[in-house]
Amino acid sequence: MADPRTPAPAASPGPTLLDLHRAGRLAQEYPRVPALLAGLDDAGLTRAGQLLARLDADDVLALHPATPTMNVAVTGHGTLAPLLAPLTAELARHGLLLRPHLSDFDSYVFDLADPGSDLYRTEPDLVLCVLDPQVVFDSVPVPWTCDDVERLACEKTETVAGLSAACAATSKATLVLNTLPLPRRFTAQLVDHRSRARLGVVWREANNRLLRLTETHPDVVVLDLDPLVAEGHAASEPRLSLYTKAHLSAALLARYAREVGHLARQRAGRTKKALAVDLDGTLWGGILGEDGADGIEAAGGYRGEAHRAFQRVVKQLGAQGVLLTAVSKNDPEPVREVLRHHPDMTLRDDDFVRVVANWRPKHDNLTELAASLNLSVDSFVFVDDSPYECGLVRHELPSVAVVPVNEEPALHIEALLRDGWFDTRELTREDLTRVAKYRDELVRKDFLDSFDSLEEYLRQLQVRVRLSEAGTADVARVSQMTLRTNQFNQTTRRLQPAEVGALLADPAAQVLVVGSADRFGDNGTVGAVFTRRDGSTLHIDNFLLSCRVFSRGIEQAVLAAVLRRARARGVTETLAAYRATPKNAKVKDFYPRNGFARVSGDDAAAVYRHRMTDLPAVPGHVRLTDSNGDGDDNS
Amino acid sequence: MKTIDDFLVLLQDDLGLPVTRTDVGAGFDQVPGWDSVHLLSLLTLLERTTGRSLPLADALEADSLEEIYRLAVAA
Repeated sequence: MADPRTPAPAASPGPTLLDLHRAGRLAQEYPRVPALLAGLDDAGLTRAGQLLARLDADDVLALHPATPTMNVAVTGHGTLAPLLAPLTAELARHGLLLRPHLSDFDSYVFDLADPGSDLYRTEPDLVLCVLDPQVVFDSVPVPWTCDDVERLACEKTETVAGLSAACAATSKATLVLNTLPLPRRFTAQLVDHRSRARLGVVWREANNRLLRLTETHPDVVVLDLDPLVAEGHAASEPRLSLYTKAHLSAALLARYAREVGHLARQRAGRTKKALAVDLDGTLWGGILGEDGADGIEAAGGYRGEAHRAFQRVVKQLGAQGVLLTAVSKNDPEPVREVLRHHPDMTLRDDDFVRVVANWRPKHDNLTELAASLNLSVDSFVFVDDSPYECGLVRHELPSVAVVPVNEEPALHIEALLRDGWFDTRELTREDLTRVAKYRDELVRKDFLDSFDSLEEYLRQLQVRVRLSEAGTADVARVSQMTLRTNQFNQTTRRLQPAEVGALLADPAAQVLVVGSADRFGDNGTVGAVFTRRDGSTLHIDNFLLSCRVFSRGIEQAVLAAVLRRARARGVTETLAAYRATPKNAKVKDFYPRNGFARVSGDDAAAVYRHRMTDLPAVPGHVRLTDSNGDGDDNS
Repeated sequence: MKTIDDFLVLLQDDLGLPVTRTDVGAGFDQVPGWDSVHLLSLLTLLERTTGRSLPLADALEADSLEEIYRLAVAA
């Protein structure tokens, strides 16, 4: 809770997005855009999208060449131009510059089926194939029956399945499809309830076929529009649908753009990893310091039940690999007591990787929390009911996603889930046990503090490292590591699951997965090495390791093992690549420190060579198991 | 939105179009930065701003921004 005596931080004194637009300075000031968009409501974001969509991405890039971009091809059945402005704004919120390619009206079949289409030539990262109910109803005869709809819906979904396969074969893009809403103006054309029910069945079967494409096509995402329509966004606007063939409403397209923004964010490797929640007024009702443990509301009663429901949602996120932390202005002892013993609490202290209760500014606590978890602070989502705290964190740490909740606890869940901050393509085994692993890590840190020397600590830690060839069971986790890992990531090459699959199938390429364990438990699959053989040369295209486990000799052990393997197989030189990003500076000297010499490049991107004569040794405190097996589950 | 100047501000600040008072009276092909896409956004925006329904078929047939403005204030 805010201290009522402390004045709220003044509104940001700088210019607004509109000021910059009026002054013609939006492109020049583009790096400020994400901060200017944070906290805008839907109407504000719509307007911002119109202004940002006027910018030419090339002009922005000429001025700010390091801006991350996302090539997005938009195709589909109806008029989709109204999607561009909200899409521009939603990507900009995540710091991504949209480079759009808008196809001609109703050209999705040609766009996706023809490998030489303009759409593929733009080398899209995302292909949005926006489907609407007219995909089916444009073709029905008059009068029509459920049988007509069933037959046409089957034809259309089969076409879409074929297009999904064609897209996967032609492009590295993620193909985004969507389910078809069913407006009442179609069901109501049938006067008997029996037929209406059957139309509902036929329609949902078509949507089920679309949703099931994700089971067979790893590069396909299907956005279910039903939950968005159920939020209250009309599926279509009849006049614009009839007059301009804009078959989905502007409101629904804006909401769709928000979902796509999070897909883009995830594809760019920017998924949030940790949730920091305030306690008083957020996790429970009341103020612990004033009302006492008996006075807070965490179950029972109107507000208590709302807070209990919110806690259940937070716990649900935690169970899927989101690291839960609490940051509260409170004395630590009463907070610990509530989290351990209060009968009404759903969340308990062992649901959190760390609970910070003190009287320091929350932005300082968040910064330290990130450091202790070896995360970047931009991996955090922060939820608080105090506008003061939200404003201060937003101001001091603009990269933190701030979710303001208010005095209406029944709306906390909607506020938290309004954005898919933790959206990911697929959960892996690692996600389900991540919280326990980070907790182990904090125990390790305490263990470290009890030693005088790092060597002695490492010796007592009993580090074990397993190296094995990746198999199909590892594909999801390996892809996820390339997308999530930022610090120990030599080239930060992000790979979608299908791209990892392609490497496994390539006889010249090899993907090695790294597992580790120590006296405190198993860390699971924590790293990967991507190599490629070319004659007697081995290329290390990328080497990455989870931030949870580096600096304890694992990386040296893995490198030593990779080189040892290579020499045994006749490799006479190994070339290793490094590409600098804003986050991987700490590994830029990794190869030179381990016997490699730079042969080309500079500090931004370099290639290092090892001549394979004097190989580095596996550190003495590490026990290495190098399996030459067939890549079975290694964790 | 009461005057043509309010309409101009809406075009400039909400749609981001670099238009002047003169452009408003000109045909769409004379309006800098104009694209038929903007028409959909403009009509949606006008309905939201005025809180009234526009005769959309008429608006889509309009030849100039001024004509759309007249439809919007008459609606």
